[in-house]
Amino acid sequence: MNDLQPSHPVLSARGLCREFSLTEGRSLEVLRHLDLDIHEAEMVAIVGLSGVGKSTLLHCIGLLDTPSSGQLIYHKDGQTWRSPGLDEAQRCALRNQFIGFVFQFFHLLNDLDVLENVMLPAIVGTPKAEWKQRKHEVEARARSLLDTVGLSGREKQAPGTLSGGERQRVAIARALINNPRLLLCDEPTGNLDSNTSEKIHTLLRQLHEDFGTSILVVTHDPDLASRADRRLAMIDGRFESAADGTDR
Amino acid sequence: MQYQTFLSKRYLKRRWAPWAAALAVALGVFSLISVLAVMEGFKLEMKERIRGSLSHVVVKGSAMRMLVGEDPLLEAARETAGVEAASPFIETLAIYRSTVLDYCILRGIDPSSEPKVSDFGLYLLSDEEIDRLQADRFLMLPDDRPPPDPQRVSEMFSLERRRQMLRWRLRGDPSVGFDEQAPPQGLVVGIEALRSGRLALGDVVQLSSYSPVSYEPRIGQFIVVGAFQSGVYEQDQRWAYSDIRALQQILDLWDDEAQDMRITGISLRLSDYSQANQIREQVQQEIGRRMELDPTDGDAIPWRSMEIKTWEEQRENLLQAVEIEKRIIAAMMLLIVAFAAAMIFLILMLLVIEKNRDLGVLRALGATRSGVVILVLKQGMFLCITGAVFGLLGGWLLIENINQIHELLYLATGVRLFPPDIYYLEKIPAHLRWQDMVLVCAPTLIFGFLGSLLPALWAGRRDPIKALHHE
Repeated sequence: MNDLQPSHPVLSARGLCREFSLTEGRSLEVLRHLDLDIHEAEMVAIVGLSGVGKSTLLHCIGLLDTPSSGQLIYHKDGQTWRSPGLDEAQRCALRNQFIGFVFQFFHLLNDLDVLENVMLPAIVGTPKAEWKQRKHEVEARARSLLDTVGLSGREKQAPGTLSGGERQRVAIARALINNPRLLLCDEPTGNLDSNTSEKIHTLLRQLHEDFGTSILVVTHDPDLASRADRRLAMIDGRFESAADGTDR
Repeated sequence: MQYQTFLSKRYLKRRWAPWAAALAVALGVFSLISVLAVMEGFKLEMKERIRGSLSHVVVKGSAMRMLVGEDPLLEAARETAGVEAASPFIETLAIYRSTVLDYCILRGIDPSSEPKVSDFGLYLLSDEEIDRLQADRFLMLPDDRPPPDPQRVSEMFSLERRRQMLRWRLRGDPSVGFDEQAPPQGLVVGIEALRSGRLALGDVVQLSSYSPVSYEPRIGQFIVVGAFQSGVYEQDQRWAYSDIRALQQILDLWDDEAQDMRITGISLRLSDYSQANQIREQVQQEIGRRMELDPTDGDAIPWRSMEIKTWEEQRENLLQAVEIEKRIIAAMMLLIVAFAAAMIFLILMLLVIEKNRDLGVLRALGATRSGVVILVLKQGMFLCITGAVFGLLGGWLLIENINQIHELLYLATGVRLFPPDIYYLEKIPAHLRWQDMVLVCAPTLIFGFLGSLLPALWAGRRDPIKALHHE
């Protein structure tokens, strides 16, 4: 547990269900009435076998997917957003400002250099008229984040020239550029060797403590799960114990 | 900075294939603009030459009854505001025999007033010019010739000139048997009739036509006293001019009813051609009014059916043919632009497939569906606009230097792409109009937009989750 005491939830999920339609009128229920609270400055790890719905949960929370039923509530500075009830622009704004994504396969844009990749969410989220004023501030923050993840001096390098671990560091820096409330990490070390994974685990934990960002990490890795404040096990679309999701 | 602009720059910077599409657009626009400019130049050149041979407006009677009352007709026309000059003419078809049996459009003109209504005086060649033009079959009259002497046309048809030509002719062949004191009527033919060898200066030819009054064949002896070059090949080959009075006698155009000689019509030159329709109305009203007067009135014109046409209406078919040809070529060449737009479509589709994962990442980072649509659309339109701008620029440069380039090609290959003897133009005419630029650019941009829209919409509909799972 970090030094910052978790208080208010930044995200609450209530009765979250996600069904996928199959052929012949059948459907597959991937998430079954899930309740989950993630508090400020809390790191939560979700573990479970493949296919239990971990990634689907992450996509629903990240507003990339829409739950079949249930509610998602996002809190920030006294403001609340509820899904359903968000339009496309609000969903995109939340993805950009409230949430940061870290993917298993890093997903850096090969046509941009390292610095540009890190700046990308800020470029996406800043209106054209404001960009001129914000550019230097964003660039300075991107350089600072790269310094924090240990990639200072590599700003102009192409992502293709970096190792897997370095690319994931760039992806983590990118996820943090807009100072999000919630970092969603989908198997962040699933594609890395154990040595590099360990370094990423340490980095995530360190960033969590430094920035106080809430982190929801889906992982198979017991080492990473053990570093979380809370560890939730998923089985067949539910948490192992129904109360787990909202417990602290 | 809008992220679409930022990413478009990066995507286009590192790939050559999209630029191939832009090049295709540029080539399409370049070809289209060049062809349209040359066609327009050709049309203008032809119009100018036809206009020179014809007067601004022609008042014409029916083919058989023609018009009578030459003097009051001319008076009526000259008194109308906006009419600068008027001159009578006769037009008939005639056949003649020289080395072969041939035909010509024979125009009887008044040598003193004709130069005031048409450019005939300008087109009339001196003997020295005829020699030069016959020596070089590609040679055209220079644009900067000295202004013609108004007396030259009258001198050309004068008795003195006819005698001079006949003397010259008889000296060559004294056995011809013509009386030098009573030479045949003068005939001025197109330079191509001389160049083709069918006629020569001093030739005495027998022209046969039909009298529209008696319907009897009429024959007249003429001596070729001069030549003209109008710049319109058909006219320079087929048209011939003689004195209107002589032709009236030969064709027996006496009208018993009106007790006057008939004429085909009168030619008018206007002080401002842009007012042609208005002036034409006024001339028609004035002539119509005089035709209604009592025949004993000095101003009266005997009633005959008539029509008044501008020179453009007279040669409407020819001018329309060129305009239609221009439109057809433009329509055909738009296919090149459509092909270029299809290239943009294919390249953008490939780009969307290639960048599927990037588009998913962008959606995860907060880009909206419409933002992704704009990203792809922007790239397509950027390629299209860049291609169009370079195409226009290239087309403009070509048009500005078309004759120098043509000359260089001729020097390098020995092949004339634009032979002067076929097109009857010494230089390739080219005229770039803003309307043609719009005609080229608007469809290009529309095709480009349509070619970009489908990949853009497709990109916007891609599922970001599937895209993110793709590695």
